Amino acid sequence: MKGLHAIGITVTTSSATLVEPVNLTLLPGQPLTLLGETGSGKSLLAQAMMGILPDDLQASGTLIINTRRFTLPQDVALLRELWGRTLASLPQEPWLSLDPTMPIKQQVAEGYRFVRGQGKAASAIAASNDLQQLGLEDAAPRFPWQLSGGMAQRAAFAAARAGGAEILIADEPTKGLDVARRDEVASLLRREVADGGTLLTITHDIALARQLGGEVIVMHKGKVIEQGRAEQVLHTPQQEYTRELLAADPAAWSTRQQTLVGSKPVVSAEGIRLQRGAKTLGVPQNIILHAGEVVGLHGASGSGKSSFGDVLLGLLTPQQGQVTRHAAVDALKYQKIYQDPSALFPPARTLAQSLNDVLRRHRIASARRDALMEQLALAPELLTRRPDSLSGGELQRFSLLRVMLLEPVFLFADEPTSRLDPLVQQQTIQLITSLACEQQCAVLLVSHDRDLLEKSTHRVIAMQAVA
Amino acid sequence: MMIKLLGWRLAQAVFVVLAVGLLTWFLVQALPGDMAWRIASGRYGYDRVDASAVARVQQELSGSLQQGSALLHWLYDLLQFNFGRSLVSGEPVMDELRWQLSQTLALAGTSLLLTILLTLPLGIWAGCHANGKLDRALFWLSALLKSVPHFALGMLLIVLLALQLDWLPSAGHGELRHFLLPSLTLALSLTAVGVRVVREATYQVVTSGYYRWGAQKGLAPATRLRRHGVRNLASPVLTWFGMQFVWLVEGVVVVETLFAWPGMGHALVHAIFARDVPVIQASAMALGLLFVLLNMLVDAGCYLLDPRGARA
Amino acid sequence: MSLSISRLMGLLMLCLLLGFAFLLPLIDRGDPLEQDLLRILHAPSSGSLLGFDHLGRDMLPRLSAALRLSLGLAALCVMSAMMAGVVTGVFSAVYGGWLDRLISLLGDMCLALPGLLLVLLLAAIAPDSPGMLWLGISLVLWVEFFRVTRATLRPIVHAPGMQASRLLGFSAFYRFRRHLWPALAPILMTLILFSFSSAIMAVSALGFISVGVRPPTPELGLMMTELLPFAWEAPWLLLQPVTALFLLLISLNLLMHKERK
Repeated sequence: MKGLHAIGITVTTSSATLVEPVNLTLLPGQPLTLLGETGSGKSLLAQAMMGILPDDLQASGTLIINTRRFTLPQDVALLRELWGRTLASLPQEPWLSLDPTMPIKQQVAEGYRFVRGQGKAASAIAASNDLQQLGLEDAAPRFPWQLSGGMAQRAAFAAARAGGAEILIADEPTKGLDVARRDEVASLLRREVADGGTLLTITHDIALARQLGGEVIVMHKGKVIEQGRAEQVLHTPQQEYTRELLAADPAAWSTRQQTLVGSKPVVSAEGIRLQRGAKTLGVPQNIILHAGEVVGLHGASGSGKSSFGDVLLGLLTPQQGQVTRHAAVDALKYQKIYQDPSALFPPARTLAQSLNDVLRRHRIASARRDALMEQLALAPELLTRRPDSLSGGELQRFSLLRVMLLEPVFLFADEPTSRLDPLVQQQTIQLITSLACEQQCAVLLVSHDRDLLEKSTHRVIAMQAVA
Repeated sequence: MMIKLLGWRLAQAVFVVLAVGLLTWFLVQALPGDMAWRIASGRYGYDRVDASAVARVQQELSGSLQQGSALLHWLYDLLQFNFGRSLVSGEPVMDELRWQLSQTLALAGTSLLLTILLTLPLGIWAGCHANGKLDRALFWLSALLKSVPHFALGMLLIVLLALQLDWLPSAGHGELRHFLLPSLTLALSLTAVGVRVVREATYQVVTSGYYRWGAQKGLAPATRLRRHGVRNLASPVLTWFGMQFVWLVEGVVVVETLFAWPGMGHALVHAIFARDVPVIQASAMALGLLFVLLNMLVDAGCYLLDPRGARA
Repeated sequence: MSLSISRLMGLLMLCLLLGFAFLLPLIDRGDPLEQDLLRILHAPSSGSLLGFDHLGRDMLPRLSAALRLSLGLAALCVMSAMMAGVVTGVFSAVYGGWLDRLISLLGDMCLALPGLLLVLLLAAIAPDSPGMLWLGISLVLWVEFFRVTRATLRPIVHAPGMQASRLLGFSAFYRFRRHLWPALAPILMTLILFSFSSAIMAVSALGFISVGVRPPTPELGLMMTELLPFAWEAPWLLLQPVTALFLLLISLNLLMHKERK
């Protein structure tokens, strides 16, 4: 009988169990999705089944693949023989998994040539066909770094499948992709299943899980929380954690109560025209932001959203147009939150020291810092740590705190949560909007997730198509 | 992009000619009296020099220092590769230069070949089996070898292999065995660092995402190394080799002197002692231009091998 | 910089050599140039620890003087190269534009000719002048400091961290101290050691071909050339400058040693 059965798979280190025993079944034509946040153990489980765990971790359990039995950890070497022929992995970051010095077509063809054993000419033809089916004919002679994220993912897909494997394990296939690209990858995977393939998907993206259907396993901190048909688990979850996880998806957020927006304009721009090189970006030409207003800016990656915010802050000069700051003259009142907070704090100093620098520089009372820490649910002991030992969510809240210390009138939030897990994302967006409302600060919130913006802002502006 | 690179190298070549010209100009200006005496004694012998001989040499020298546009004439001559005659031997410099150039190239070429033969297999093996026995042994061996300058190494090799064991000739020229000690000296010093560079580059490649994924695609280890390993290695290794040409040209000067190898480096050093300005100019410029040419070849190689630099 | 065993050993060796070079003249009143023709090629004895060379000079003060020359000259070269290179590197990384292009061009010009050639020509103009050696070696070394500083700082200057600190109102000095310097310091340390050993090798190579310094100045490379003809009858003579140079370089290499992964 074809397919993969996993019985009692665990992942352990010398001192701890990272994944408790899991049983699952992969059958042709029925996708299975492992759903969970970072640290839930879902990736480790998939790596254990593939036989690619890091050296300091150990897997144990039994795998039955196409009626062949493998006992872990002894049979890991035997498992490797299946790579490419029976088991294929779709990498998380395609740019890192494709050879930068080899054209795409050759990377696909080598699966046919060296794994399936076909001749050079036949392999080339097969590779061309595959790429054409994926809409990548033009990209065939190019190199991976010349492709966009979505295209690279499709190319990796072709290369992974070229060896003839029927069982595909896709680890976070939509990581870093915006909504349109994500839907493309989802339909690609669905087509794979419809053709009789066997698919295991690992993701934290609930929308992807919904699109794929089939079976769903929800994991949290190494344990299986809930398991069952997608329609059931994702619509009528039995467990508390699953309910929280589903609620964290922006599409499921309750529409925010419309808070009062002040009539005072804080910052406005007129006649803006912004160019990057020879390209004119589709930024809004005119905009007015009022005190306490949260405005969403929606657009695809690279469309110029960040540049627009920089223009409003005065960090970037547009080719045409004018920005007027009405509320305060002091440039310090116009602040920014970044997508990646990890490089913002000096790496060699504790957070207490870095924050003290701000307090001292602007003569702010430390009581204000303590009050903000409470509001942002940051434990005091985190102050003694260095930036590299904090999680992404904690660092983002600290950067929000640092900025709020200055009591800004305008905040440009540049994709502040796109790198965070769903639950943390929900919490962080709530904090940003509630703090802004409280301080009567105008916020320009940038995101590629339309649902998120519609549920958390007063109004949404879309980037125009690039000229 | 290629044109831009080549153009840049050409500019560098012109700059080399100008730099050599300027510096030798200052040389001529510096101690004319002393220089005239040295040249005369070089020509006639130390004990047979008299005032008239010195005066004649001084005349020759000042003859080439025409008033006003002297420096420009000087540089113009250089750009035409017009070096004139050696002030010591009286022979046209270009004739001697051709012979010396071939000797230096032979030595440099043999050294490079030896280096490649040593660094590539050892380095790649060490990188593929990182922290294994060979890797650790190579690490300490290279650390030791790095601390012995090439001239000291050459000396030690002479003392050991030529004098003590009498396996190889310590100097001399003409046969294949004469190549061995000088090129071994240069090769060992280059290998000391080179083998680590190749090891690092190999280690980076075999631990990279695409290399690991190659195995998951189902490629056999040998296939993987051949198709993905070697190509990604080539660029950093070639770049490093390119950077070593500076060292090679410098090393050639010293090693030729030690082994009395009749190349350009040897000629340059002797000419400096004898204040033989035309020969100084010629050999310094030839060495400088050789350096630029080698760099040009490396640039071309990198461009062809690594598509990122070229078509980015 | 963490102190592993290799680094500790290197540091110890270096200190011993420094002591030998700079503290010996305080104890031993020997003259490196004084000749005693009755003692030519005398082997080491209780009276003179390192023996006498082919011209009857006491090797102990001679070796010490040679080390002093190498270390002192190299230190001077590295310091000037570092100051020039780091300052230009910082300005280049921070301001970019035409300043960056100009300094990069200057750097490329200094490296157009192989360093040894440059120093040879300079030394030919003014022989036996440590000043020319210093000039030539520094001209070559500063470019490396410049390039490394620029390459290290450029990505940081353009990263969000600097921008955020600027928005928060921090001064340029704060931004340098907190963002740029922590990234530069460790790399600078390695580069200083590396340049130091390059400078020492350059000085001794030039001494070896008798261009940089002339006899009777004691210099490690020069001493090697002078003592090579006596390698058969008095091997312990030739070994001295070779060993001294070797120990010096290996101590620097050990200090640069990074723990293997």
